[in-house]
Amino acid sequence: MTSPVLEVRNLRKSYDDGRIEALRGVDLSIEAGDFVTISGASGSGKSTLLQLLGGLDTATSGQVLFQNAQLGTAIGLDDYRAHHVGFIFQAFYLLPTLRAIENVQVPMLAVKQEGQNRAQRAEELLCEMGLEHRLNQYPNELSAGERQRVAIARALANHPSVLLADEPTGNLDSVNSARIMEMLIGIQKKRGMTLIVVTHENDIANSAPHHIRIRDGKIEA
Amino acid sequence: MAIGAFVALVGFSRSFEQEWMRLYSSAGTDIVVVEKTFLETSIDESLGTKLQALPIVSQATPMIFNMMDLTPEVNALSFGWKADSYDFEALTFLSGHKFQDGKAEVILGDVLAENLNKKVGDTLEIQGKAFTVTGVYHGGSALEAGAAILPIDQLQEISSLQGKVSGFHVRLQPAPKGQTQEQYVKRAEGIIEAALPGLRAAPASEWASKNQFVALAHAVAWGTSSIALIVGILGIANTMAMSVFERTREIGILRALGWKSWNIMLLIQVEAIVLGVVGGVVGLGVGYAGLKLLATLPQTASIVSADVSPAHLLQALGIAILAGIVAGAIPAWRGAHLSPVEALRHD
Repeated sequence: MTSPVLEVRNLRKSYDDGRIEALRGVDLSIEAGDFVTISGASGSGKSTLLQLLGGLDTATSGQVLFQNAQLGTAIGLDDYRAHHVGFIFQAFYLLPTLRAIENVQVPMLAVKQEGQNRAQRAEELLCEMGLEHRLNQYPNELSAGERQRVAIARALANHPSVLLADEPTGNLDSVNSARIMEMLIGIQKKRGMTLIVVTHENDIANSAPHHIRIRDGKIEA
Repeated sequence: MAIGAFVALVGFSRSFEQEWMRLYSSAGTDIVVVEKTFLETSIDESLGTKLQALPIVSQATPMIFNMMDLTPEVNALSFGWKADSYDFEALTFLSGHKFQDGKAEVILGDVLAENLNKKVGDTLEIQGKAFTVTGVYHGGSALEAGAAILPIDQLQEISSLQGKVSGFHVRLQPAPKGQTQEQYVKRAEGIIEAALPGLRAAPASEWASKNQFVALAHAVAWGTSSIALIVGILGIANTMAMSVFERTREIGILRALGWKSWNIMLLIQVEAIVLGVVGGVVGLGVGYAGLKLLATLPQTASIVSADVSPAHLLQALGIAILAGIVAGAIPAWRGAHLSPVEALRHD
């Protein structure tokens, strides 16, 4: 039996002085190496849950535990984001003034990896994503699919154990969507990583062994 | 611009101070005897005899120091000396010779002569009286090079200050063995002040750097530079605040990728410092050019040279770095404390 890599206990998140409740007591356990999809209608709280799982935000109440250590107390959120999780966003969020190979190196600066190693690792990752011919392109010189592949390479830069993807195919056509999902699943299997994908697309949601549906801030039974 | 103002204005005031230093060191003056309060031409000239009679005094020569409008465009320092003053030893005559006491004659520093376009034999009208130029000299300092020197009695006459002087320049007898020059000058100060109650005897070097004109120049320079610096800091702070606002999402991305608050703070702070340094280097050039210009203008050439010490430039650069640090502090703190989620949502 594998141990949970991420565990959520009675997680609540509210905004606007409690007037808006995005999450209303979520309990969840995700095993190491799992591929989990989270789906739900717009405003259901799925992205909020992902943000809390990724340490991008703090809960109003409840706990998020990474390998049994509570985020924000036993493990700092900055360190958690730098060392243990990789993010992939719908809007890619590449830095427009940096080339592809430089964008991939940005997370490595947070963990003080040496310059030569950084460049070498970034090149390896981009080659793995099939972008060996696009290393020195700026984001605006890349197609949407290529940008997302750069973003995936960047998410893998610091060898995270958890990969979090928020609507990773939301800005892509069907061909690129399929390719990106195939790539993410391949990475998850090859590296034994935990992959959590937030999506509103049923095909993607149903492609995972574990599928969580959220409705009105709660996990549906 | 703030650094430019600092380099030009503080450079100007320091240059002014240095020229005073040169003025006294080139003539070999040990002590300056002046009014205790403010430099003004109100000391009785006859006190010179009493001063000269002191055994510790080798030579005491009266002088008047004044600033005069010689033409609508050119104002210059004017000195009143006696024809036998030892102060002449610091001058090199390029043409002509020194004046005679009691005659309406004047000698001009080479810079002033050029600005006035006057040569030996020409007439120069000062305070409504015609003076014949008897000599053009090169002085030991810019203050002399840009000055007009008249017989002291003539300057007293045209200023309606008969029998009054601004002070005395004093050369001391050689210091006795076993006493340092500093100790000797200190002792001489006491003797002179005891002999001439109400007057102040100041070592020439101290008087050169601390007289009211130099102090005023320093105060104006630092005051103006400080205001310019505050404006400069506000400018950098505004630029950095705008930069942080425009790059809110970028900061959010960096935070999402694990960058710590202090990494972000350092990034913004370094940018602010770079901005300060770049502005500072440009300011150094602008300031130095301004100082060069002041040194050539007829209105200011007599009181300033374009010498800027490396220490002054380093000080200006240090101030630029400090301005960057101060100006970047608040934007850096704000940027560092942005919530990653809020920052990522920013358009």
